[in-house]
Amino acid sequence: MLDLVLDAIPLAIVASVPLLLAVQGELVVQRGGIINLGIEGTMLVAAMTAVLAAQATDSVLLGFAGGIAGALLVALLFGTFVILLRTDQIVTGTAINLLALGLTSFIYRELQQDGVFVDSIPRIEHDVVVPLAWIGIPIVLAILLWNTTFGLRLRACGENPDAVAASIRSHRALALGIEALLAGLAGAYLSLGLSSGFAENMTSGRGFIALSIVIFGRWKVKGALLGTAVFGLAAALQYAMQAASSGIPFHLLLALPYVVTLAILCGVAGRVRAPEALGKN
Amino acid sequence: MKRALSGFNRSLTGFAAAAVAVLLLALSGAAFGHSPLELLTILVNGSVGSRFALEGTLLKSVPLLLTGLSVAIAFRAGVWNIGGEGQFIVGALAALLASRWGVAASLLAAMLAGAAWASIAAAMRLLRNAPEVLTTILLNFIAIHLLGWCVNGPLRERAGQYPQSDAAAAALPLFGSVHAGVFLAVAASVAAWWLLYRTAEGLRLRATGFNPSAAKWAGINVKGQLARAMAISGAAAGLAGGIELLGVTHRLFERFAAGYGYSGIAVALLAQLHPLATIVSALFFGALVTGAGELQRTANISAAVAIFGQAVVILVLIGFERARSRP
Repeated sequence: MLDLVLDAIPLAIVASVPLLLAVQGELVVQRGGIINLGIEGTMLVAAMTAVLAAQATDSVLLGFAGGIAGALLVALLFGTFVILLRTDQIVTGTAINLLALGLTSFIYRELQQDGVFVDSIPRIEHDVVVPLAWIGIPIVLAILLWNTTFGLRLRACGENPDAVAASIRSHRALALGIEALLAGLAGAYLSLGLSSGFAENMTSGRGFIALSIVIFGRWKVKGALLGTAVFGLAAALQYAMQAASSGIPFHLLLALPYVVTLAILCGVAGRVRAPEALGKN
Repeated sequence: MKRALSGFNRSLTGFAAAAVAVLLLALSGAAFGHSPLELLTILVNGSVGSRFALEGTLLKSVPLLLTGLSVAIAFRAGVWNIGGEGQFIVGALAALLASRWGVAASLLAAMLAGAAWASIAAAMRLLRNAPEVLTTILLNFIAIHLLGWCVNGPLRERAGQYPQSDAAAAALPLFGSVHAGVFLAVAASVAAWWLLYRTAEGLRLRATGFNPSAAKWAGINVKGQLARAMAISGAAAGLAGGIELLGVTHRLFERFAAGYGYSGIAVALLAQLHPLATIVSALFFGALVTGAGELQRTANISAAVAIFGQAVVILVLIGFERARSRP
């Protein structure tokens, strides 16, 4: 059993890349005081636009660009409501998720009839996303959040907006843009890297797990990496149990990631302090 | 007079949001080469155009009304219960298991199960400070896979042919082709109105949602209030699942919940979280879901457009409200 788990670890490192990117993106916006529950839908839209772009251009790179573009569009909508109109963040995020689910399912069926999603998609040849997600982006984000004026002001937006002399809106909008970049990358990697195409509701709750890991990681980049690693280990265990046909029913194994996430939330949430102005408009 | 006018204004916003959603729906169909007029005709005929369509709309409105009430009660109390989907599923599971003891016992079990499932999230919030907006959603996924396990494993039909359960041992009485759950759902919304606006419990619940610190200073046990609101909310969603099982599907299968839990959020928001207005709102979304089903059958357009419509209604509503209330 132990070798099975060890064998599953490389797989888990790769498979948790979309989650890790989402965690880091959500970390940035929450530091600025915004809870983006709509990250689930953002990734779902990105997963679809990435496949569409990759198929139209026959290029993986442009596929990823398409994913990021899709995510930016969703973030633009979310930002217009939350930052400009100052609507409730939870309600807006929920609506964004419903919008993404309805729209992608609708378009999927429309284009499937034209055979669009049947064609194979170009494959990734050199997978730079994995080291980027686990090493490159965390370093950049840590510097951005803790060693730049922008980072300082953004964190102030999340703690005490009144103390920020500069525009809160532009800082939060920029943070949302960074999140969209990461969520777009996550969605594109999900459909182009981990699967060979788009499937309805293929994000299957990764966005919500990401929000939980942000809390577990105490809104820190190190914590985000650690939290995703803990979660990835649990995922590796799940793969190993599936491979070993442990006798635990398949469907109950599918529920395991969510049970682990609940345990993670209950284990730490009571002892952490969220950014003071988080979720308040 | 002023109050009546603002009520009128609010309803107007609601109708405008609903109209925008239907229009956007037809337009997105047009983007993929369908005739918008034809789509609207199918949507309307398929939801209210015939006796059969009307019955379909009425039947779809029942679970929507109850999940809408569930959300309205939770949001009024200031707790984010996004877990209607999971509570709906465990309600139906409990109803199936208790159906051998009759309809009443079965529905009671559904309510208790829904309340218990929601209370997991309440306990996690109150004891461990875990945000219920996340725990309720995570519990949805767990309930979905629990249901998947049940209908593939212990509760699989004896014939063993499909991944579904045997038919429940009890069923709701039928009036024509409409089951008695319609009356139960309407009664539930009157009861919810009574609870919220005519009882001390309802006053405390609303006060807690309106301003928790003020409620605390007024001597309200805020934690207990949140726990009770969550349980009542879960019970309503669980009842929805039980009624859907005993009145419509009679069996459980993997995609049993079909998004009713999440739809409840749109239903409640369109009704401005008012239990009686929820009846109208549920009928509208019931018609939308039924019409979307007809779109899928006749025009081969994904029935998921109904979810899209719900999202548009929510966004138009909250956008409009904020734009108007800004100084």
